[in-house]
Amino acid sequence: MLIYILKRILIFIPTLITISILIFMLSILAPGDPVEKMLGATPEGDPIPPVAYNAMRKELGMDLPTFYFSMSSKAYPDTLYRIPKQAHRENLARLIGEHGNWPEIDKYFKKSDLLFNSAYKIERDSLNGKALIKIKEFAELLLIRYRDRDIKRAFDKLKPQIESTPSTAALMPLYNETMQSYNNVTSNQSKWKNLVPAFIWYGKDNQYHRWASKFVVGDFGRSYQDKRPIADKIGDYLYWTVILTFISILMTYLIAVPLGVFSARMKDTTQDGVLTTILFILYSLPSFWIATLLITFLCQPDYLNWFPPYGIGEVGPDAGFFETIRIRGYHMILPLFCWTYASLAFLSRQMRGGMLSVLQQDYIRTARAKGLSEKKVIWKHAFRNSLLPIITLFANIFPRMIAGSIVIELIFTIPGMGRLLFEAIKYPDHPMVFTIVMLAAFLTMIGYLVADILYAVVDPRITYK
Amino acid sequence: MFWRKKLTAKELEEKEKSYWAYVKRQFKKNKRALFSLYFVFFLGLIAIFADFLANDKPILASYKGTISSPVLKSYVVGLGLGKWPVHFQNVDWKKDVDFDWTVYPPIPYYPSNLDFECQYCSPTKEQQGKTMRFRHWLGTDDIGRDVTAGMIHGTRIAFMVGIVAMGLACIIGIFLGSFAGFFGDTEFKISRIRLILTLLGSFFAFFYGFFSRSYIIGDAILGSNLTFIIQMLISFGIFFGILALINLLLVPPLKKIPALGKRITVPLDLILTRMIEVIVSIPTLVLILAVVAIVEPSIMWVMIIIGLVGWTGIARFIRAELLRIRNLEYIEASTALGFSRFRAMMKHAIPNALSPVLIAIAFGVASAILTESLLSFLGIGVPTEVITWGKLLSLARTAPQAWWLAIFPGFAIFITVTLFNLIGEGLTDALDPRLKQ
Repeated sequence: MLIYILKRILIFIPTLITISILIFMLSILAPGDPVEKMLGATPEGDPIPPVAYNAMRKELGMDLPTFYFSMSSKAYPDTLYRIPKQAHRENLARLIGEHGNWPEIDKYFKKSDLLFNSAYKIERDSLNGKALIKIKEFAELLLIRYRDRDIKRAFDKLKPQIESTPSTAALMPLYNETMQSYNNVTSNQSKWKNLVPAFIWYGKDNQYHRWASKFVVGDFGRSYQDKRPIADKIGDYLYWTVILTFISILMTYLIAVPLGVFSARMKDTTQDGVLTTILFILYSLPSFWIATLLITFLCQPDYLNWFPPYGIGEVGPDAGFFETIRIRGYHMILPLFCWTYASLAFLSRQMRGGMLSVLQQDYIRTARAKGLSEKKVIWKHAFRNSLLPIITLFANIFPRMIAGSIVIELIFTIPGMGRLLFEAIKYPDHPMVFTIVMLAAFLTMIGYLVADILYAVVDPRITYK
Repeated sequence: MFWRKKLTAKELEEKEKSYWAYVKRQFKKNKRALFSLYFVFFLGLIAIFADFLANDKPILASYKGTISSPVLKSYVVGLGLGKWPVHFQNVDWKKDVDFDWTVYPPIPYYPSNLDFECQYCSPTKEQQGKTMRFRHWLGTDDIGRDVTAGMIHGTRIAFMVGIVAMGLACIIGIFLGSFAGFFGDTEFKISRIRLILTLLGSFFAFFYGFFSRSYIIGDAILGSNLTFIIQMLISFGIFFGILALINLLLVPPLKKIPALGKRITVPLDLILTRMIEVIVSIPTLVLILAVVAIVEPSIMWVMIIIGLVGWTGIARFIRAELLRIRNLEYIEASTALGFSRFRAMMKHAIPNALSPVLIAIAFGVASAILTESLLSFLGIGVPTEVITWGKLLSLARTAPQAWWLAIFPGFAIFITVTLFNLIGEGLTDALDPRLKQ
């Protein structure tokens, strides 16, 4: 048995590695530039000075390639990751796709970048105010547009603006060089390079390796959203999710198990029919609908104002223990209800199904014929054999604990793991997303292992050799 | 009946004894499940004819003597095969066009029609300036969109999501699960060179089929659905074409060399179980949210993603069934008769392994519809102009006094999910091997 457990734990490792790569890729692909977000950039504001951008990029560790290797075409340089801005990188990639000649594109990019930055260095005076704005706008277009007609149009619009005032006319030579380099790009195309696959090896210096090696030692890094250490943040939010999940599971099992047994015994009576229908309906009700209905009807001054709709309640700093429980509990009744009723219905039905199939067995008939009391028959013999589906559901508890119930937490504004994860995905706060998902995956696998062990405990016929 | 083949009495009798006829009979005995099935058909009809039931264009109209059907024309225009005549472009159909006579759909509103005279109109209170014909029977939302129209068109989206997502999950799940279940870990033997070349070749195939075409595909996504489908078909064609070329041209001559031609076993079952484990270990909603965050909002992506995440259940079921079936006598007989294992799997094993798959499909459609409404409730993955049941329900959060926004769409979701669950339960009972006589 012990060897089986050890073997299972060993198999965790490749699965966890695969999951980590999968989640890493998904998170990196999400749109949004965390460097800009952390520096507080807005689309309308001034662009961030390159020095600050690069510094932040290095601090976040994003100046490395994403993975150990990359598969792309011959046209791509192996150093594309060094270009700081994500928007620029993507545009360059598209330009490569169009024309295929990286050396020329590189020169063009450097020139247009120089042009753009030079426009910012020009002093504003009474004459060139309007022209400067337009120049900055069109020069930026050169950096983020790849279509031929868009670039040509930007050049055409730039020319009159540069020529309009003497201070901006100083940009003219640079403008000509940029235009020349673009013409080089279009005339010296090597599109064939796009069709030749190339394999680039980056070695250990890449984002994934850096993150993964820190993760296994327990250094989860800092969140992009507020720079707090992730372990602290998770600890805060985990508190509420664990409380809610724990109470919910306790209630579910305490109510559903006897209910299932009871309804199995009362099979074919009208009570059972009514109960089964109620449970079925409960099981099918979408939890977000019930939550919305409850908020609409039970939390409004217009209808019944029994419960507060949002949050977990304000508790003063010197509130007593019972008062804390009263306030928190009052706020938690509705979310707890929404969380519990669906699993309760499901668990009861599973219990009932399992019990029913066991009660048809011969040994139950023998037990009754032997003269055992009904209570002993049910609880001592039948119950233990119908536990298998219950244990399976138990395995799902751990991932639920981590993902929380995203919906319920969002609707009732409870600061739990589900909401944390949701905000992290939207931001996108990559380190947070990886950490939470990896923890969820790890706990899921532990859950399945625990379930398998419990199977063997409950049913001695099951052995793992 | 001219289209049905006339069966002799003996053939009819044989047909009645077949397994699926038996299953149908058992299913029909379950009144609840049968009623659910009929109701689902009814809802399906609503979904198909949504444009004829709730639209701001007339079904039939006569304009200056010519009779036309603007609703049908909108289909033609939507496919990109036609254009609106000048007098119909960008018009408010009720006010701007001077028709001779019109036949409007029962609900004369399209879900996205704004009605600023009637914001947050309640279905029970008086609606200002609306005749019975133009009354908002189930109320409106904050910018005057009619709830009834939203519900009717939401049916269409819900069914589309359910069917497409489960269809995709089915295709992937049945394909992978049956290979893994039937061939197990020991039976799938191919020559070494074929394995190596196929693995290497798939990199090339992926490169030429998808990577170098990534911008073409990316642009096609922003275009119409038709161009996207065409480009994806081309990509898949290139992918499989390269693999086919390798297998047909390169492998046979190289197989003759003894070292390369050696048969090795590929443990399909192990590979599939590991793949399923990886996908299942991540909580479903989390995985869906992470993937949906990458792509831009569109119903099509939601359908594809739900399908890509949901295939594991079907694969598991069909794998379990095939693990049981492959040891039965009729499969053994087919090998004795000289059929290839592949033919035995496709023609004999899989058709008999489909019962748990059907049950999984019924529950899977219910769960797909639930997931999609959850996503649109959270405001993720679905563009803001598209009205689905979940979107209407989410509008109730910001305006709790608009009880009609909370009750009706949620009720629609609940009923649809319940119906599919009941069908699934009916199928479980009908297909239960223990009750077979």
